[in-house]
Amino acid sequence: MPGGRPFRRGRGGPMIRGGMMRGGMMGFKPMPPFRTFIPHIPFDITQCETNFPQARPVSEEKALSDALLKRNGDLTPSTNEQASVLNLVSKINTVLDSLTITPGNFDAAQIEEVRQVGSFKKGTMMSGNNVADIVVMLKTLPTKEAVTALGNKVVDDLRASEPRDGKHGTGVVTMLTSETGFEISSSEATVRCLITTIPPNLKKLDPDLHLDGKIMNGHLAAIRHARWFEENASHSSIKVLNRLLQDLKNRFEGFSPLTFWIIDLLSHYSIMNNPARQPLPLHTAFKRCLQILAAGFFLPGSVGITDPCEQGTVRVHTIMTLEQQDQVCYTAQTLLRVLSHGGFKQILGMEGNATIATEMSVWEGVVVTPSDKAYEKLEKPVEEEEDEDEDEMETEMK
Amino acid sequence: MAHYVYPANNAPSVPGYPTAMQTAFVAATPQAAAYATAPRPGQAYEAYQTQHTAPQYAYARAQVAVTSNFSIQPTTYEQKTYYQPAQAAATYSTGDAQYQQQTVVVKPSYTTGTTYTAQRQATVPKVQTVQVTSAPTNYVYTTGASSQAVSSYQPATTYQSATTASTTTYSGYDAALYSAATSYYQQQQAAKATGTWSTIKKATMPTIGGKNGVASKPKISKPPQLHYCDVCKISCAGPQTYREHLEGQKHKKKEAAAKVGTPSSSGRSGQNQLRCELCDVTCTGTDAYAAHVRGAKHQKVLKLHTKLGKPIPSSDPVVVGAQKASSVSSVAVSKPAVAPVKAPVPTVSAPTSVAAKKVLATPKITFVGGNQLKTTGAKMEEVKITPPPVTSQTSMDSDDDDGPLNILGEKDVAPVGHEYIEEIKNDATGKIISFNCKLCECKFNDPNAKDMHMKGRRHRLQYKKKVDPSLQVEIKPSIRVRKIQEEKLRRQAAKEEFWRRKEQEQRMEEEYYWEERRRYQEMEMYEWHRMGRPGMPPPRFGPAPGIRKPDSSDDRHVMAKHASIYPNEEELQHVQNIVSACEKGLKLVSDHIAESDAKAKQGIEVKKDVKVPVKPVTPAKDTKVAAATPAVPAKKDEDHKEGKKEDDSAAPPRVLKGVMRVGVLAKGLLLHGDLNVHLVVLCSEKPTRTLLERVADGLPKQLATCTEEKYDVKRCVEEAAIVVTNSSEPHVSCTITLTSPIMRESAEGGESSAVTVKDPPDVLDRHKCLDALAALRHAKWFQARANGLQSCVIVIRILRDLCQRVPTWTPLNEWAMELLVEKCVSSAPAPLSPGDALRRLFECIASGVLLPGGPGLLDPCEKDPMDAAAGLSNQEREDITASAQHALRLIAYRQIHKVLGMDALPVPRFSRRPFNSRKRRRTDSAQADGDGEGTAAEKKDKKEDESMN
Repeated sequence: MPGGRPFRRGRGGPMIRGGMMRGGMMGFKPMPPFRTFIPHIPFDITQCETNFPQARPVSEEKALSDALLKRNGDLTPSTNEQASVLNLVSKINTVLDSLTITPGNFDAAQIEEVRQVGSFKKGTMMSGNNVADIVVMLKTLPTKEAVTALGNKVVDDLRASEPRDGKHGTGVVTMLTSETGFEISSSEATVRCLITTIPPNLKKLDPDLHLDGKIMNGHLAAIRHARWFEENASHSSIKVLNRLLQDLKNRFEGFSPLTFWIIDLLSHYSIMNNPARQPLPLHTAFKRCLQILAAGFFLPGSVGITDPCEQGTVRVHTIMTLEQQDQVCYTAQTLLRVLSHGGFKQILGMEGNATIATEMSVWEGVVVTPSDKAYEKLEKPVEEEEDEDEDEMETEMK
Repeated sequence: MAHYVYPANNAPSVPGYPTAMQTAFVAATPQAAAYATAPRPGQAYEAYQTQHTAPQYAYARAQVAVTSNFSIQPTTYEQKTYYQPAQAAATYSTGDAQYQQQTVVVKPSYTTGTTYTAQRQATVPKVQTVQVTSAPTNYVYTTGASSQAVSSYQPATTYQSATTASTTTYSGYDAALYSAATSYYQQQQAAKATGTWSTIKKATMPTIGGKNGVASKPKISKPPQLHYCDVCKISCAGPQTYREHLEGQKHKKKEAAAKVGTPSSSGRSGQNQLRCELCDVTCTGTDAYAAHVRGAKHQKVLKLHTKLGKPIPSSDPVVVGAQKASSVSSVAVSKPAVAPVKAPVPTVSAPTSVAAKKVLATPKITFVGGNQLKTTGAKMEEVKITPPPVTSQTSMDSDDDDGPLNILGEKDVAPVGHEYIEEIKNDATGKIISFNCKLCECKFNDPNAKDMHMKGRRHRLQYKKKVDPSLQVEIKPSIRVRKIQEEKLRRQAAKEEFWRRKEQEQRMEEEYYWEERRRYQEMEMYEWHRMGRPGMPPPRFGPAPGIRKPDSSDDRHVMAKHASIYPNEEELQHVQNIVSACEKGLKLVSDHIAESDAKAKQGIEVKKDVKVPVKPVTPAKDTKVAAATPAVPAKKDEDHKEGKKEDDSAAPPRVLKGVMRVGVLAKGLLLHGDLNVHLVVLCSEKPTRTLLERVADGLPKQLATCTEEKYDVKRCVEEAAIVVTNSSEPHVSCTITLTSPIMRESAEGGESSAVTVKDPPDVLDRHKCLDALAALRHAKWFQARANGLQSCVIVIRILRDLCQRVPTWTPLNEWAMELLVEKCVSSAPAPLSPGDALRRLFECIASGVLLPGGPGLLDPCEKDPMDAAAGLSNQEREDITASAQHALRLIAYRQIHKVLGMDALPVPRFSRRPFNSRKRRRTDSAQADGDGEGTAAEKKDKKEDESMN
């Protein structure tokens, strides 16, 4: 491997589980072995419950779990919403399917495959966000013109298939192109048609002519994710937790770096990945999410979760920047403390607002100071640990 | 052992016999031979039988036999193939050829030339076709006496009878295979078949003589006038030419060469050259050699020699360049050459001479001189083949047309699918004029070609495709493939080299690592000994299995920090002094009290049972203990004395039963500058203020007797303790707490019993006493659980330091801290390095273990479930958690030095990858060496920064 960067296997290298892998994964590059990256397995109290027996009477969790279920109810789209989305999705699906089978005179693009992905497909759609996603895989190269043409064609076909009475129809249908493809919206629902192309084509893309290759790769991944979710995460607790986490992501800015895919994996992990291999109760799992995030599950150096839909070992959280990882972590840390002092309603957004994550708050006489970021871009001389603690002491005084 | 040369069973019946196509399999491959040698001769026959009926199968069987045999028998097989030199294509013309897989035959008779000649003489005139009956099949029966001549014989006979019984014909009786055994066998045969003998001759002769029969008598009988040049081995037509020849350059050259003694043609000594000694010709390969032997020139010389009655050297090729060649060839013998009667048409081969070849090239084969064999018909020949020749076979790739010449280890294959070869006969004569391979749809006129074809790759492929998919057809590596293979080998070698090198590096690396560890450990050990802490194992950092992870930056920081908070030698010395002084003093006090009590009470002899048990931590056994373990080395003598005295003490209970070390002292958690140690004195009764004062009063006096240093003794009644401090720097204090196990019992017994038991009015504070008892238990727990746990003690020290430095953490009591660390470290899936352990600790706290909703820390040293950190207020819990959360992220973002309150350590030298510069220079030479190191390091830092993730 001439010219290979010997650094590759630093902490940023591909991650490997297990300590004995070192010899095996060294490849041919002579490298001092201690650059070998052995990811740190962060503390997860659920995994070592036996070491931490309850020393205190278990506090009542009923309030929390009730609140969680209630919140989930609020977040779940109503049947009407679901129906309208489903309606639009199935219509578009039909149109696209027929285009796949009989392109007819439409020659701007050939469709290879059409798949539903995303939260609608997974059953984790959020109320008020009636957007379904469909990935359209083209056999041809996805030029921007072709995408527009396809979008127009779909809209035309939709309108054509629609009896003009407007009663049961999708109503006014509009089409908007975007970087990812096009969106078709009716009055009540939106379907995003995400354009991608067959993998061999991805190499032939010209950034000037075609859609961005990365985006299309992402759409291909979305197909895999949808399938994975269907196969592994069908448990309803996972879906509920998923929705709750999405809600956190929406409300707390610190969680915004979490992608849907990370949330999928995290909710699955929290519910299912425990010594008993039985789904955890919702409130435990919800708390666990915050606990493991607070314990640095998605911090640099941690094993985190290995992406099951990628080859090799890709830790999902590495798609976030270091700063974002820090942000997610400290937000979770703050929320965890708030939660432990009884602030679950605020966390769930049933009371108060999102400032609890960023501003000091008082819970039953306990002052909760939000965690601050630790990430520093530059290696500048830093304030001592004590400073921070002094700050905390000051706040305590107040 | 016998070889069955198994002819095709398609031989036409009697009338066709002479012309029968004779496909001879030497079904018994070397292995088969070995197989046959197997103790039970009967098996040979079985093998034969199967061969007979199903050649293919037999072949396979033979193969199987081989493998087993090789492993079992260390016998040597002479690897031999036969070829029949007579006419060009003699071998092949004999029909489908005896396709001999290298036969490993060891034959006694091969050993000497004499046998050979005799044999030859015998053979030449005779046709050795023993036609016993006119059975449709011919067996070329080759005997190979393998290991046991005797036993080898057995099968032969068996075979014979068997054959006769089954009325088969031995037709191609290969002279090549002569051995003492063979001749014997022959005799037998002859004896048996005498009746037919003449007829055989008659029957075969015509064919043999027909075309270019070599060996037929008639030819020999007319002696030509010969002008023979011995040097060049040629004959000249007349004296004129002979003279001319002698004057010719060629002759002179040869002559000169001969004088020097080098074989003329062996100028080049390639590894794989074969030399025909008869003609003094060197061939570059088996093919060439075979061609040569078949060739006119060779035949001419052969004929000539035969005519002249000159000795014909073995027609075995001599491998030039093989080390053993000479020695071997002597042994080797004289293989009676040849069976080349080749009939124009495939006929029974009447071997006139058989050239048996041996593989001389394989150095592994040991030949043993053959004389003995010769002498014995019944003696074993010990021939050993060390490694099976199989290896050479399999590794070889040329699968076609090696013919019977297979000396250089080339792989020979059995011809397959003769049943698909049609013979096209001349209607009129019934002679076969051509062959047609139905599989490959091709024709050939020459039986030789047919034979080649059947062994050929194309044919085999077709066969595999159309008939037997299980047939193995070797892939003939094209030049490209071969190149690739070579490349592969080369790369593999390079790879191995690399791994070797890397292993070395790793070893160095590890050595370095352990060196560090060891140094550290030694230091610790040293301290330990100095401290004179008895019965306590030094902390183990030692080779915990599975920790191979080298120091990370975190580890280095933690270890550096640890080194800085570890008390220095002076401090340790002081602590040691004060502790041992206190212990001695307390013992004396105890003696004194006991004495006075005794006097006061009973007036018995003084000093009967003096014992101050100095046992750091065994709260449970405290009553009996002291004698058992004289703990502190410094006190050894004393203890000895005590031990003696103790024997005769039946003992009214002493008031002060013993002194123990607890807390940081017992746990080895002393920190630099934090030199307050604790001792606990166990009393037999509930300690009272009076007692405390008695002790406090007595102690200074006793201290003065056992040490010169000045110590202040203060009593601290509310703490149930006496505090001893030293006057010099560094300040060390030793807190001596009085307690009694009875305190706990009463506590457990409930209020009532506590009350009823007549408490002395001035009993010391119960909580303090209980704490002291708990401290004893904690010390014991610590040694059981935490001490042996990798990184645990280090992290606890670090955490203690943190608690002292950082106010937020101060509320966390030491016991909770120890418990917490132990739980964290022990719950890890694998042993942790110090850095990882610290990170895990912070993760644990960050995930809310201490928070109000968390599980808390269950105290293992209490009977009732208790939170060891129960004393923390919610706000304190919150703050500690928040601080830990921040610390965790600082660690994750490479700012562990902030957490530890130290300066960041420079990147260590050896993490700069010693191989960098070298690698760089080699791979991209454009980079100037000058900036190599500097930028490399810089870039690396940057990179690391980027890639912290």
